[in-house]
Amino acid sequence: MPLSYISQSSGLREDRQQNEDIVEPKKRKSSSGSNTCNSKRPKEDSPSSAAGMTDNSLDAQRKTALGPQNNGFNRNSSHIAHTKGGSVKKLVIKNLKEKPTLPANYQQDTWEKLKDAVNAIHTQRSINASLEELYQAVENLCSHKMSAQLYVQLKAVCEDHIRSKANQFLEEYLHREQFLKLMNSCWQVHCGQMTMIRSIFLFLDRTFVLQTSSVTSLWDMGLDLFRMNIVSNPVVQTRTIGGLLHLIERERNGEAVDRQLLKSLLRMLCDLQIYKEAFEVQFLEATDRLYGAEGQRLMQEREVPEYIAHVDKRLNEESERLLHYLDQSTRKPLIFCVEKQLIEQHLHALLQKGLDMMLEQNRVDDLALLYQLLSRVRDGLKELYVAFASYIKKTGRIFVINNDNDPEKDKDMVQQLLDFKDKIDNIIAVCFNKNEKFINVMKESFENFINQRQNKPAEVIAKYVDSKLRAGNKESTEEELERLLDKIMVLFRFIHGKDVFEAFYKKDLAKRLLVGKSASVDAEKSMLSKLKQECGGGFTSKLEGMFKDMELSKDIMLAFKQHVANTKSPDNIELMVNVLTMGYWPTYTPMEVNLPEEMIKYQEIFSKFYHAKHSGRKLQWQPNLGHCVLKAEFDAGRKELQVSLFQALCLLMFNDSNEFSLEEIREATKVEITELVRTMQSLACGKARVLHKSPKGKDVETGDRFIFNNEFRHKLFRIKINQIQMKETQEENLNTTERVFQDRQYQVDAAIVRIMKMRKTLTHNQLIAELFDQLKFPVKSTDLKKRIESLIDRDYMARDKETSNQYHYIA
Amino acid sequence: MPPRKKRSSTAENEVDKPKKRLCSKKSADSSFSVKRCTTWFKTYCSAENDGSIGPDGMEKFCKDLGVEPENIVMLVLAYRMEAKHMGYFTLNEWLKGMTYLQCDSIEKLNRKFDVLNASLSDSVTFRNVYRFAFEFSLENGIRSLDKTTAIELMNLLLDGRWSLSKEFMQFLEQSKFKGMNKDQWYNVYEFSHHILPDLSNYDEDGAWPVLLDEFVEWHRQRSNKTSETGVDC
Repeated sequence: MPLSYISQSSGLREDRQQNEDIVEPKKRKSSSGSNTCNSKRPKEDSPSSAAGMTDNSLDAQRKTALGPQNNGFNRNSSHIAHTKGGSVKKLVIKNLKEKPTLPANYQQDTWEKLKDAVNAIHTQRSINASLEELYQAVENLCSHKMSAQLYVQLKAVCEDHIRSKANQFLEEYLHREQFLKLMNSCWQVHCGQMTMIRSIFLFLDRTFVLQTSSVTSLWDMGLDLFRMNIVSNPVVQTRTIGGLLHLIERERNGEAVDRQLLKSLLRMLCDLQIYKEAFEVQFLEATDRLYGAEGQRLMQEREVPEYIAHVDKRLNEESERLLHYLDQSTRKPLIFCVEKQLIEQHLHALLQKGLDMMLEQNRVDDLALLYQLLSRVRDGLKELYVAFASYIKKTGRIFVINNDNDPEKDKDMVQQLLDFKDKIDNIIAVCFNKNEKFINVMKESFENFINQRQNKPAEVIAKYVDSKLRAGNKESTEEELERLLDKIMVLFRFIHGKDVFEAFYKKDLAKRLLVGKSASVDAEKSMLSKLKQECGGGFTSKLEGMFKDMELSKDIMLAFKQHVANTKSPDNIELMVNVLTMGYWPTYTPMEVNLPEEMIKYQEIFSKFYHAKHSGRKLQWQPNLGHCVLKAEFDAGRKELQVSLFQALCLLMFNDSNEFSLEEIREATKVEITELVRTMQSLACGKARVLHKSPKGKDVETGDRFIFNNEFRHKLFRIKINQIQMKETQEENLNTTERVFQDRQYQVDAAIVRIMKMRKTLTHNQLIAELFDQLKFPVKSTDLKKRIESLIDRDYMARDKETSNQYHYIA
Repeated sequence: MPPRKKRSSTAENEVDKPKKRLCSKKSADSSFSVKRCTTWFKTYCSAENDGSIGPDGMEKFCKDLGVEPENIVMLVLAYRMEAKHMGYFTLNEWLKGMTYLQCDSIEKLNRKFDVLNASLSDSVTFRNVYRFAFEFSLENGIRSLDKTTAIELMNLLLDGRWSLSKEFMQFLEQSKFKGMNKDQWYNVYEFSHHILPDLSNYDEDGAWPVLLDEFVEWHRQRSNKTSETGVDC
């Protein structure tokens, strides 16, 4: 054991560590007198106690264990033991005859030597004695219980030195940066010196200081002295902090500064433990001021995108500052301060001034940045989505509201809405991180603005779908159409008055089906299934019925053709009939007209045929839905004219004569006059003029005469002559809307009775609330009230006799 | 004993003697006789109305009482009788009402008029009379009052009791409403009772019938207009 111990104790550093390890256990175990202590004890302590473990030696041991001296002796004595052990085989330790005494002025001399060394370090001279020697001197002094005095002496020397340094900082002439540099170099030197001093006095530091709680370690002592004598001086401190702040401000203003200097000085403040009180508080105040002013100024001067770019830059700079020289503990308050002054303070102004414009111009990058910045501050995102919602509402309203009912504007509404939706979706996905809240807010806002105008949006969406599903719409492929329909369904979802949509959609669908203008059965079916998915089977049952009718009609026509082929047909006219179930289809006002005999005959044949198959059904002919293909002989050759039934009736008259008056035609066909006027207009004033009108003119008036146009020319063989329909659509439009409203009344009545039946007694407000809940279309509470009153009047319910706002159900 | 005596005397002269009795035998006079009451009834009824008092009898009755048929007292009287139809009293109704009032002669009834009138100031009674008036005034088989009847009736009942009654009737006159149903009629009273004359505590979202909503709107527009023109002047 001892041998190995000696060989290890040669190096200064290692030695220290070893000692440390050993001192600790001794401290604890020596009192119990354990073996580990004993084995080392003999070589290291005074001769008297070396032989045995007597009682009084225990005392001594305890003392030595507490004192730092044993280390120094340990090494020396063991060396002696080693040399002796080399010559004799058996190691015998004898008591020393005499206690070795120190020279009389040993302490004084040693201290002088050490003091010289310290002074040399302070004055940056080379030290005369070797470091090992000095170290041993310290060790010896400590071993002889002179540690306390040594510590005091050392401290006094250091303090003197530092005091002498302090004055230079009070000099007035020093420039800010010079001052900082001076401070920095002084600090660096101080650190270097203290390291050196500590190395020499390490033994003191590791024993006496560690064991005496009232003194600080040498390093801390150095820091204390430095702090008390230099930095704590108010003038010095103010200058230091002021200089630092000035430097940082210059950097913030874009100048390049000595970051190393800053870092070092801030480290100094940290080490001196005055970073927080002395620096951070003032620093944050300065930051607050700076950015407060900057925020105010730039909000005035700059556009929002520039501003937020600047804020972003600032935030990055500050993070960099944290990375490079500020203490990490400053991160939170600093970033918070910047966020507060540059973002939170201007939250409203930012959104008010910039958001609409950025959304308008679709500035995706700026918006993403804005989102990212606002998400940093409290309530930022909330404000953002509120503003976002109001933008959507505001912009959407412009598309939807049309006070003059200008049809041109309404025509574009759906396309505008679709584009707008795309844009907003894109912004949410790209800029707003697909934030759930924003998606919800977007939906709410769309729903809000679309329903600001009653019925019309539903109507135009229905018409838009019609325009896409109608034949001749070749602009999109099937997939594109499918995607478009999906998008339209999204808009449709927002609409409260789904019944209005259904009514118009049905009307258009009827037209498509009857005139055979539907572009693709697949697309129709797909739209239908989408509607079904959205609103349930009840919503689409009628529409499905229409498709079924069309298919059944096809079968019927096949059978009918065979039937006609079997029985001799009167002429070579073809008849195609669609049998429509009442109720599925929009209601058409029946019209009585005079049909040519051949047609009537044919109708009868069909009626007979149909009734034979389905007895008991009533067939009602709808002449205004019919259309015909006529063969016509002109001078220029044969043409086929594709016309409506009314047009056909008028044209067929010209088989008998070349000229008729309006009244004559009216008399013969019995077509209703406004209808007839429009029909004649289409034949004589439209694009393909198969008739001449006299006198000439755009409008048909009573007394006008029509002459067959023999010179009619057209490059096509089969010509379609369009009905003029403008006025009719407006009328139809009104009818459709009215019918929807009527339907709604019944629904309201039913809902009221349903609710009252369940609840028996309800207050007015509760009932209204439940109704709003149940009814799927928008209603005003006045309308509900009217229905309630009507039900009271009809004794379905009664008002409470005493409290007039309470209702009772009457069974 | 006294009743018999009285019966004979009242049967003989209804008009002449009561004054004396009023002074002399107050306590005896105040007692009520069903028979006397029935006899009294008989003086007004006619055969053509199945033993009820018909329009002619009613006219005479009013004349004897010295009140106009349109007097509100008659309505209160009818209410006390729980009469079904305007212009007709059946014997049952007559007895019910007169028993309640403890009247078996025209003088007694005359004396009760003050009481009857006074009873209208009690809001519960008034409300009952008001509600009664609706059914009472309905024509057979029709569920609502036509506009003219409604206005007359309202004038009779609410004039002087509701500061807005004139305006309301004016409104009703020019409105598109053809008449008033029971609910509307009932609620007009509640309205007059609860809503301040300046309409400040009117809640549009309350349960008020649309008729009253529109009245309020009409009234507000009108008062706005008048205040504006007032400023212009």
